[in-house]
Amino acid sequence: MMPEAPLSHAAAQRLIGQSVQRREDARLITGRGRYVDDVVLPVMLHAAFVRSHSARGTITHLDVSAARRHPGVVAVFTAVEINSPSHQFWVTMMGPDAGYAPGRVLADGDVRYVGEPIAIVVAESRYVAEDAVELIDVDVDPLPPVMDMFTAIEDSETLVHPELGTNVAGDMPADVPGLDDRLAAAPHTFTETFHQHRYVQVPMETRGIVASWDRMLEHLEITVSGQSAHETRLFYSRMLGIPEDAIHVVMGDVGGSFGQKMFTQREEHAVVIAARAIGDRPVKWIEDRAENLISGGHARQEAMRVTVAVDDEGVLLGGRAWQLEDVGAYPYPGNGAAGASSLALFPGPYRWGGPGSVAYHAQAAFTNTCGRTAYRGPWMMETTGREQMMDVVAQKLGIDPLEIRRRNIVSRDEMPFTSPMQLQFETISPAETLEQAAQMIGYNAFREEQERLRAEGRLVGIGLSSYVEPQFGFGILATEAATIRIEPSGKVNVYTSTGNHGQSLETTIAQVIADELGVPFDDVRIIQNDTARTPYGAGTGGSRSAAIASGAAHAAASSMREKVLQIGAHLLEASVEDVEMHHGVVSVRGVPGAEVPLGNIAAVAYLNTDALPPGVSPGLEVSERYKAPSFMFSNATHAVTVEVDRVTGRVQILRYVVSEDCGNMINPMVVEGQIVGGIAQAVGGVFYEHMVYDEDGNPTTTTFLDYLVPTAAEIPDVELGHVVTPSNTPGGYKGLGEGGAICAPAALLNAVRDALAPLGVSVTEQPLSPDRVLQLIVDATGE
Amino acid sequence: MPEVHATGQLPTVEVDLTVNGHPRRVRVEPRKTLTDTIREDLRLTGTHAACEHGVCGSCTILLDGDAVRSCLLLGVQAEGAHITTVEGLASDATELTPVQRAFRECHGLQCGFCTPGFVMSVTALLESNPLPTDEEIRAGISGNLCRCTGYQGIVRAVRRASEIIAAEGRGEGV
Amino acid sequence: MKPAPFDYHAPATVDDCVSVLAEHGDEAKILAGGQSLMPMLALRLARPEVLVDVNRVSALATVRRDDGSLVVGATTRHATLEKDPEIAAAVPLLARVAPHIGHFQIRNRGTLGGSLAHADPAAELPAVVRVLDAEIEVAGPNGTRRIPAADFFETVFTTSLEPDELVTAVHFPVWGAGSGFAVEEMARRHGDFAIVGALAAVQVRDGRLSKVAIGLTGMGSVPERAEAVEGALTGAAVADLDLTDAGVQAVTGLEPSADVHAGPEYRKRVGAALVTRALTHAIEEASRA
Repeated sequence: MMPEAPLSHAAAQRLIGQSVQRREDARLITGRGRYVDDVVLPVMLHAAFVRSHSARGTITHLDVSAARRHPGVVAVFTAVEINSPSHQFWVTMMGPDAGYAPGRVLADGDVRYVGEPIAIVVAESRYVAEDAVELIDVDVDPLPPVMDMFTAIEDSETLVHPELGTNVAGDMPADVPGLDDRLAAAPHTFTETFHQHRYVQVPMETRGIVASWDRMLEHLEITVSGQSAHETRLFYSRMLGIPEDAIHVVMGDVGGSFGQKMFTQREEHAVVIAARAIGDRPVKWIEDRAENLISGGHARQEAMRVTVAVDDEGVLLGGRAWQLEDVGAYPYPGNGAAGASSLALFPGPYRWGGPGSVAYHAQAAFTNTCGRTAYRGPWMMETTGREQMMDVVAQKLGIDPLEIRRRNIVSRDEMPFTSPMQLQFETISPAETLEQAAQMIGYNAFREEQERLRAEGRLVGIGLSSYVEPQFGFGILATEAATIRIEPSGKVNVYTSTGNHGQSLETTIAQVIADELGVPFDDVRIIQNDTARTPYGAGTGGSRSAAIASGAAHAAASSMREKVLQIGAHLLEASVEDVEMHHGVVSVRGVPGAEVPLGNIAAVAYLNTDALPPGVSPGLEVSERYKAPSFMFSNATHAVTVEVDRVTGRVQILRYVVSEDCGNMINPMVVEGQIVGGIAQAVGGVFYEHMVYDEDGNPTTTTFLDYLVPTAAEIPDVELGHVVTPSNTPGGYKGLGEGGAICAPAALLNAVRDALAPLGVSVTEQPLSPDRVLQLIVDATGE
Repeated sequence: MPEVHATGQLPTVEVDLTVNGHPRRVRVEPRKTLTDTIREDLRLTGTHAACEHGVCGSCTILLDGDAVRSCLLLGVQAEGAHITTVEGLASDATELTPVQRAFRECHGLQCGFCTPGFVMSVTALLESNPLPTDEEIRAGISGNLCRCTGYQGIVRAVRRASEIIAAEGRGEGV
Repeated sequence: MKPAPFDYHAPATVDDCVSVLAEHGDEAKILAGGQSLMPMLALRLARPEVLVDVNRVSALATVRRDDGSLVVGATTRHATLEKDPEIAAAVPLLARVAPHIGHFQIRNRGTLGGSLAHADPAAELPAVVRVLDAEIEVAGPNGTRRIPAADFFETVFTTSLEPDELVTAVHFPVWGAGSGFAVEEMARRHGDFAIVGALAAVQVRDGRLSKVAIGLTGMGSVPERAEAVEGALTGAAVADLDLTDAGVQAVTGLEPSADVHAGPEYRKRVGAALVTRALTHAIEEASRA
């Protein structure tokens, strides 16, 4: 069911729940966005990097003298000038003790992945900087790189980071007493291993930063393409030992991130340090696409071995999973980081056998490749593995995948529900979304059609995937703040701690404010992404903004409304209970003509303060910081039908259906866009995108000619259904930004599994390129 | 043949061209791409460089009316040409073209980085094929990459733009 | 990703182009559509000292009939190949193939001559000139010459052009009545270079294949002609044809390479199927014509 055609906000009464057209669009569709590369400052310089061509080896020679002499070059820095033992590399979200790769900005003495930055050239233009990069002599004595995560964790001799003494980047063993006995006693146990390849975020805007150090004021000015201005500021304050308030970080428009830009990385550090060394001249670095593919941060490469125990009906009794992630050489943040989340979410929307029935062992391995970064639902392997396993079990027991889910899935009626990993679900509706998705896709009718088509030799299949999506609310992620300042004119400025990079927050938060405060949408402006102007916060990421930022907006609007009504009532000589505010006008209920516009109230509050009621402070500025529950959850079920071409191995997606529950929706059009965007990335990951390294550690898919991002012709129309179970937070919203990318891969893989089932094909690897699919068919049929 | 002068380190070439209807003159090294010329010398930053090797379409402009990837052209090649960038479509937010209006109405953008390229490509597409089928729409926009929207809003926007253009052609407001 | 520095020339005549090429030889590169060259410059995989921009040579942009041939100028854009009715009438395979070349934005700039000189074995136009036995007209310091398509492509990205020569036009034989043409491709995404492609050009007279030409892209270091199969099919009655076998024979003996998109076995298997499809459609068209 599609959302209604978006309203221009003038026509709407209540904006929350409406597909209001976006504020952001006016500047973005006319080319007047302001992305980091649009920042042009006087005497600005441009940076380019010398990067390693070896995955592992010793730097035996590094000569930058010719580059330093090149006309137009202002400086060339190596580890000698850039690195320092005092640099702190830890991120606030993880804390200093989380366990990190050894921190260094530039390669120093050795290299640990192809693409690792070795030197930074700063010049009058990027063209000149790249010319100078070519004049730098680097010799590396190559050593055999660590490329296989499975052998890496066992190998204590060939080490990615010798100083750590191990290639194990993370290890969270699972110890659930009695589980082994439980599994052994079950009527059936099945084990399968699922592999996921390396694929990457590919934001359309690559990374970029402009940094400038004012020597007189001792002040660092940064514009960065990122997800959190405040975290960036805090990080550099710590890293460089500069007081926080000596740093100003701004994010303008950000061209997508999907987690890759959640934390600044080594190139940005080098630019900041170089800018400080040079002084008084802004230094800009705009990552090019090859750099972004090679070195911007990778994701998704992991394997999961799942063992489940079931009864004859396919009811899950218990299970055990072992997950191994390849986190490359320099992962952000911490090491792996997804394992802890995967662990918690692995049981998904199923009952299992209650507490103590599921164990999860998460491991991560360093390799001599580009480091792992967060990518939209970084923990998603828990769903990819679990949902594929459901279909494997269904196949083995001869039970339909829809039916097996019905027998296991939690429904809204069972709330509150405690998962085997102790997660408290309060407002999720997995069974309801399963039924809606099945109904929307016409599951039974498809099965009948499938029988007919199979008789003709055609390979059609249907796949399901159900999942629960968390919004994390602990540590730095626990709060968001909003400051509302009503200007003397009555206009409403709202300062939030979010870090919008495509999520439409300028619009959705304004909808919330407009409704909750009672002012026209056009009078509300959202300001974010600026450490000098906005409250402290973690920025945007982790699907939290709808619920947590709106929570702050609700709270602030509520406080502000109370104050405005107090003043308004006083001016109208009415009692507070009798006044209300709509469209920026406070009026006495039922008394036509008894009204005062917000502008007048603001003027009193700022300029004519003697007219204020007793006990009410002057000014109209309210700040509220909202503390979210540690976890909140949304959920969805995806269903997809496919046909596999026997001749070419190409998989055609026939229909794609989603039934989702994100509670109340602020803006249905925005919700839909987030889901479809995530699904497109999943289609890309499962069928087209593959970041490939050769055995020597060289990335081979380093341009868009080889790394295949799907186009409009490869992405299906997505049909959406909504189940609405409001959360227990103000507004009843739940975040869902990552869900499309988390839930879709398993649905697609299951559909292909189902399509190829008559051939006895086992589908446990990705990507499903036409070559691989055809190989599976040929191997199974011997044709 | 445009004059060549050596200023600074490398020789530069003077280029006269028409940009969004206005005559402009720039001086660039021959190797400077048209994208960089537009962004830096013409100071029109609406055209974006997202891959610099001719795949993603974010750099799309109109060159003598044809949609082209400006990253695959040199600035010097624009001598005597008429180019249109996204800034040349509407004079301000109150005078959006049908394509721009449709993108906003249909949520055809999220982060906006690919959007100018799409708007230019779709403008050209609808000029040559005003009533595309859904398949023609998806094929027609397959030369532009988007990472945020999953294309659904963009496809709707193209359909909607087609409607608006047809209605305006009939003298109706939509 | 910025190109290395180069000197730039934009001559107005073929003779001027040749002069510059003669002066700089290997150090000069021709800039036609730029759709293949510019990425190489950006990645610094190509670092010519001199760029010769041929887009202002009006003599290279003409299309004319010359007896039984259509002479198409080297800088004719793919978009023109796609849309020009004269070209569609005289050489239908060109018009049939053109929509497969990339995306319309690429076709607005990419040129016939540029594609042939670039000699990517995955590209369509080199396969077209091979299938149609076209002649590539070339100008150099010693005058002009015509190179048969069979002699033009030497290996990947390499033609028999001398460093001081440029493609000026392509002479396409015009097939007569009873002709049929087809192109079948397998590409990962819409608009991509095909992993493997098959082109068929046939002529049917009195229920027999009087002429047949089969081309393959992505199956070797140059566009391939399946000459053995062509020989076997020529003269055969359409009703007696085993096109499935013809497809298999067409790829026999070929050794396509592996890349990140597909391996050699895949290319041969799918190539065979595409040849079958292409022949089927071409023969259908020819039988109706």
